[in-house]
Amino acid sequence: MISYELEPQQQQVKEIVHWFAENEMRPISMLADKLANVPDDWLRKVNNIGISMSTSTLGEGSKSEGQKKERQGNRLAVIATEELAWGDAAIALTLPGPGLGGPPIQHSGTPEQKQRFLSIFSRDEEPRWGAYALTEPEAGSDVSGIQTTAVKTKGGYILNGQKIFITNGKRASWVVAFATINKELGRAGHRAFVVEKGTPGFSCSRVAHKMGLRASETAELVFEDCFVPDENLLGGEEYYESKGSGPSGFRVAMKTFDTTRPIIAAMATGIARGAYEYTIDLIKKEYPLHGRQFQMAAETLASIQQSIEAARLLTWESAWKADLGLPNAKEAAMCKAFAGKMALESTSKCLELLGPIGLENHIVEKMYRDAKIFDIFEGTNQIQQLIVARHLYEPFGIRV
Amino acid sequence: MISFMPNEDEISFVDVAKSFAIEHLRPRSRLIEETGEVPDDMAGKLQELGFTTLELLESFDGLELPLVSQVQVLEALSFGDLAAVQGLPGFNETASFIRANPENPLFVSLKDKRPTGSLLVNPFHHSLTIQTNRNGYRLNGVSIPVKMGEVSTLLIIAGVDENREDVLLLLEKETHQWKSVIGDRRLGLLASKCARLQFDQLEVPEDCVLARGEAARQVTRDALARIRILEAAKEVGTMAAALAYATEYTAGRKAFGQEIAKFQGVSFTAAQMAIQTQGARNLVWHAAKKLDDQEPDAIQASLSALHFAHRAVRFVTDSAVQLLGGHGYVQDHPVEKWMRDAQAQVNLWESETELLVKSGEYLLLGKEGNG
Repeated sequence: MISYELEPQQQQVKEIVHWFAENEMRPISMLADKLANVPDDWLRKVNNIGISMSTSTLGEGSKSEGQKKERQGNRLAVIATEELAWGDAAIALTLPGPGLGGPPIQHSGTPEQKQRFLSIFSRDEEPRWGAYALTEPEAGSDVSGIQTTAVKTKGGYILNGQKIFITNGKRASWVVAFATINKELGRAGHRAFVVEKGTPGFSCSRVAHKMGLRASETAELVFEDCFVPDENLLGGEEYYESKGSGPSGFRVAMKTFDTTRPIIAAMATGIARGAYEYTIDLIKKEYPLHGRQFQMAAETLASIQQSIEAARLLTWESAWKADLGLPNAKEAAMCKAFAGKMALESTSKCLELLGPIGLENHIVEKMYRDAKIFDIFEGTNQIQQLIVARHLYEPFGIRV
Repeated sequence: MISFMPNEDEISFVDVAKSFAIEHLRPRSRLIEETGEVPDDMAGKLQELGFTTLELLESFDGLELPLVSQVQVLEALSFGDLAAVQGLPGFNETASFIRANPENPLFVSLKDKRPTGSLLVNPFHHSLTIQTNRNGYRLNGVSIPVKMGEVSTLLIIAGVDENREDVLLLLEKETHQWKSVIGDRRLGLLASKCARLQFDQLEVPEDCVLARGEAARQVTRDALARIRILEAAKEVGTMAAALAYATEYTAGRKAFGQEIAKFQGVSFTAAQMAIQTQGARNLVWHAAKKLDDQEPDAIQASLSALHFAHRAVRFVTDSAVQLLGGHGYVQDHPVEKWMRDAQAQVNLWESETELLVKSGEYLLLGKEGNG
């Protein structure tokens, strides 16, 4: 049955996360942006109270009839993520936890790897992070073109190459890194490795300065003759051998996107909603409630509000499909494409309503800067359109 | 629990509607446009299947479906031909007023009748005046064009009298004569039988007054919210048709040695059409559910849904013509008709700016402004 009603658990999570976003994130939002860092003591505090960027519930759902209860991890995640990003997207991305590295381990890792890498996140210890390293200087949107090599050696692989734009890459306890065992094999040669912090030959060469999301760490990573043991090959050797020439690290990367793109779309929606709610509050206080100015504001706010709603519904639909174990690559791309663009347009319209005062010490200008990346990372808007188009033309046997 | 899964009844009903749309409506859509009417056999079949009484109360022999079910069926039918769907006999928009105010004794008297209904939303400034008099009201002048105005036998007028008081009137042709003024229409929805209604000092007695003042405003608000959602659903059907047609065409059409779908200028446009269509569909379903559940922000959601659908249907149908190039502009393919129908549809159901401003008023004031 078609329904948009949140389950009691979903509603409770939404309220708790919103409270946290409003009372813990927002107060440090502007400071963190200025410092280009989230204060360590704050991170320790939130880790101790058990707040994390948990992505371990994401992944494929199940259609099996034996299951008593429908999985809802993906829906729960997008609901919670929208609230976190409403508070501050950069801080949300910096919350301790496996981050975007969680989903590939969750759905492609061996039981031993899941235990080893996903169990390190504990409120009783120092905060820890996971990361996801795919992009390279010469391979961004074209994931298949990665140049980082993995050469088989006794007991493991030797990695050489460079990764860029890696969220939490410097502070992460481990990074899911993609490399090729043979460039001539193309996508079939891709493998995903979990590279642990401190591994000889693995280092962070730079933390990038950015237009927005300044408090979120964006690292460049280098692998120089970096030995990674066999047990850190995601899924293990058998995973690749048993599936013949089809699946590969490339498949792992693509599967990850199906679950992380709705999360990114939810973040974009949260930013837009944050800007919208801030602006409408201000307009209610400071604008006249009639006349041309009021009409213009009403029109603009209504346009923003309906775009936010549309983005949220596309995102929920994609997450719902993932929970049911239905293919959702097209829907994940649709919500990401729509929400990424919408967030920038919405924050821009909010700035327009605020006028020149919006440039000074109003969180909306930060949200505008933050929003832009959501039209780029986890696949640019153009890549999302390409994916949607591929699904549209697939029934006609046309590969676009 | 959040779910986008229709129930079994909805799936079955949509299946029948979609099959009828593809097998009967689509093949005859040009003929329907040329003759300006839906053939009797087709209208009869649609009536028999219940498609003309989705919104009507069960006590009127209607199906009284929830909006969330109706929108799926209407999308499926409009996938065949929007103009045909807009040209069907039945209570039409008046059914939503009955649904919004079922206890009204004037409506109860219509139970056994089988009229063709029209709705005239007539704000103060139009060339039709509603003057109070001792017995009720006097109507004089010519209305804006209304759907099915050429043949309607039942008319609801949501208007404002000379004292700026809202009034809701119910007229039946057999007792209150009005003339239909048929214009020279060429844009689209030619089977929807749009016509202006001319009233020559027509006396409307008190027993034709459905409601006045705040009561009239409230019934109109509730009914218009329902109508917006139903109309937006039809627009989604047209978008789905245009998207499917343009996708298939561009998958087969070759230029510069390959299928034109392989050019990103083409495939990205198709992707944007798909995103807009799905975005509109979701907003329509969401608003429908809100209204079914009588949520407090349902009216605002209806304004959003129709605005988004208006904008999207113009974009998607225009894009379909564009993707077919010159072939899209000539009448060998249906896309040029869908583009005309879409624009005509947008013209009939509240302006895009008006929808946004009203929606914004709800957001800022919690109610509709005074205009």
